[in-house]
Amino acid sequence: MQLPSLFRRTPFRLTLLFLALFAAAASAILAYVYIASASEAQAKAEADVAGELQALRGIYDTRGIDALNMAVIDRSISKSAFVYKLIDRTGMPITGSLSVNPFEPTAQDGAWITFPFTDTDAEGNVIRPKVRAVTSRLSGGETLIVGESLGDTEAYLNRLTQALWAAMGMVLLLGLSGGLLISRNLERSMARLNRVVTAVEEGDLKARVPVKASGDELDELGRGLNHMLDRLEGSMASIRHAGDAIAHDLRSPLTRMRAKLEVALIDADSGRVTGVEALGIALDEADTLLKTFNTVLAIARLQAAAGRIPDAAVFDAADLAADMAELYEPAAEDKGLEFSAEIETGLMIEGGRPFLAQALANVIDNAIKYTPVGGAVMLRARRRSSGEIEYSVTDTGPGVPEADRGRVIERFVRLDNSRTEAGSGLGLSLVGAVMEAHMGRIQLDEGPGEYGGFGPGLRVALILPPASVA
Amino acid sequence: MKILVVEDDAEAAQAMVRGLTEGGHTVSHAIDGAYGLLEAQKGDYDVYVVDRMMPRLDGIGMVETLRKDGDQTPVLFLSAMGEVEDRVVGLKAGGDDYLVKPYAFAELIARVEALSRRRETGGVQTVLKVGDLEMNLIARTVHRGTTEIDLQPREFQLLEFLMRHAGQSVTRTMLLEKVWEYHFDPQTNVIDVHISRLRSKIDKGFDRAMLQTVRGAGYRLEA
Repeated sequence: MQLPSLFRRTPFRLTLLFLALFAAAASAILAYVYIASASEAQAKAEADVAGELQALRGIYDTRGIDALNMAVIDRSISKSAFVYKLIDRTGMPITGSLSVNPFEPTAQDGAWITFPFTDTDAEGNVIRPKVRAVTSRLSGGETLIVGESLGDTEAYLNRLTQALWAAMGMVLLLGLSGGLLISRNLERSMARLNRVVTAVEEGDLKARVPVKASGDELDELGRGLNHMLDRLEGSMASIRHAGDAIAHDLRSPLTRMRAKLEVALIDADSGRVTGVEALGIALDEADTLLKTFNTVLAIARLQAAAGRIPDAAVFDAADLAADMAELYEPAAEDKGLEFSAEIETGLMIEGGRPFLAQALANVIDNAIKYTPVGGAVMLRARRRSSGEIEYSVTDTGPGVPEADRGRVIERFVRLDNSRTEAGSGLGLSLVGAVMEAHMGRIQLDEGPGEYGGFGPGLRVALILPPASVA
Repeated sequence: MKILVVEDDAEAAQAMVRGLTEGGHTVSHAIDGAYGLLEAQKGDYDVYVVDRMMPRLDGIGMVETLRKDGDQTPVLFLSAMGEVEDRVVGLKAGGDDYLVKPYAFAELIARVEALSRRRETGGVQTVLKVGDLEMNLIARTVHRGTTEIDLQPREFQLLEFLMRHAGQSVTRTMLLEKVWEYHFDPQTNVIDVHISRLRSKIDKGFDRAMLQTVRGAGYRLEA
């Protein structure tokens, strides 16, 4: 990883920004602590010095200059924290631990200064602690200077400053390396995502983001991306499958039409059939093709509608069932089937009535088509205990083996034993698409079992959510 | 019958003009909605057959303009769009019928003729008469000669439609649309069975069958 590119990366830039903010905050705290400690130390020293000065002035006032002189000598020797200087009225030093007068000769009574004081410590090393001192004029014209070393406080402040600087250095170092680490990790995760996006862009729909179990935002993003790609791949596959299926299904009638036309041409040549008959055959085949196309289009439009049915309205599912029963009963009885309908009342649903009519018609059509003479077809419309509305069509035909029940809803799937019947294999696919668009579902079950030498029959249920308005 | 065909597809229009002319009608052709409007305003057509999608002025715009001008000539819309909402748009714009492309020629002719007949029988009728078949729309009774025929409600509607279009071919799709008000294509012979039941009621026992099957088209009620 190259540094220049690193600086352009968001995580690293963020790290730097935070470090700068932290350094500024630390400096502010440092300055505050320093100033506060320093002024506190000075105030304490001034209080100490004032007290000492008062004591010494007391000695001077009661017992005179000599006693004061003795006291200053005493106290200088005892190595207290104080420094002293006693100067006579001519400006000549009398005594004290200070070798020079740090004050200007004109310094007024009660003036304070801070100055470096040269001293030796216990090991004999020269040290120059700061001293806070005050000058004081005595009533006899002498000048007494008393000061206190700020040494301890100063050392403390120095150590504090050093520690804070060191800490800041450490923080900057750690922050910088942490930032590098984080941004490198983030960079890697982003690169993983980017690689997948690029791969997909280049047409590899199988590319997936490796997802760790940590469950952070990036993993979530990765999982989301994978999920999206799964869906995309699924729909691409189904489109491809539908395309293949359409091509396949259109090829059969086209091939048939071509063969029939060819035969018709030969037959017409030899005078066995007329050209008119041949054209009639071609027209029938063209009609079959068009119906297949129309159904495929209807399914595609329903799937594209994604649950939003045009002109959806609330209506009574029972009315539709009664209409369908009335429409289909004669056709069923004409074929020699017993047709019955059991319809509950007040089954309000919301949806596109024409679509549901088509779906129900397809299911009844199938039942009539596949049930042998002597059998029965029953239409029911009822409210399930779950509140859902259910249409069901039960027949006594051969039924659909359990293993095939999921498959027959797919496009163009026709079971072997139904190949002889006319049909595109799209009827139940359209029903499935209508149900999906209505948030409903289609369910295939075994029928009533053996009936009139046939069976076990088939029960197709169309289950719809009830209308949300009461 | 004078028919105005408004269609931008030259080949489709040519086929339509030829088919309708051979059916004994006088046909004019306009190549888009704007020309269609000019031609229609010259007047005196019995039916307009209008394609929905055309350059310049489309079928919807043309028919809306005609209706605004007070032209009540029946309109049959032709469209490749057959969804429910497309039909609704067509009928709202002032269309009287809607035929989805591609269509069988028999279907087009049957619908055009059904539209023109509707115009002739303006006014409220209470009794329909075709030959010796008589339908009382108020009492909801049907007689053939002196014999009363007992019909189910739907059979009554079916016969009423056939009587209103007596002498014309009506297709199975038309019956499903106009009598049951469904627009799908039933795979089994549902309509045929309803017709054969009706036929057994109105023709059985009489020496002449009125309800004829028209090969390749549908049915026709003959006086």
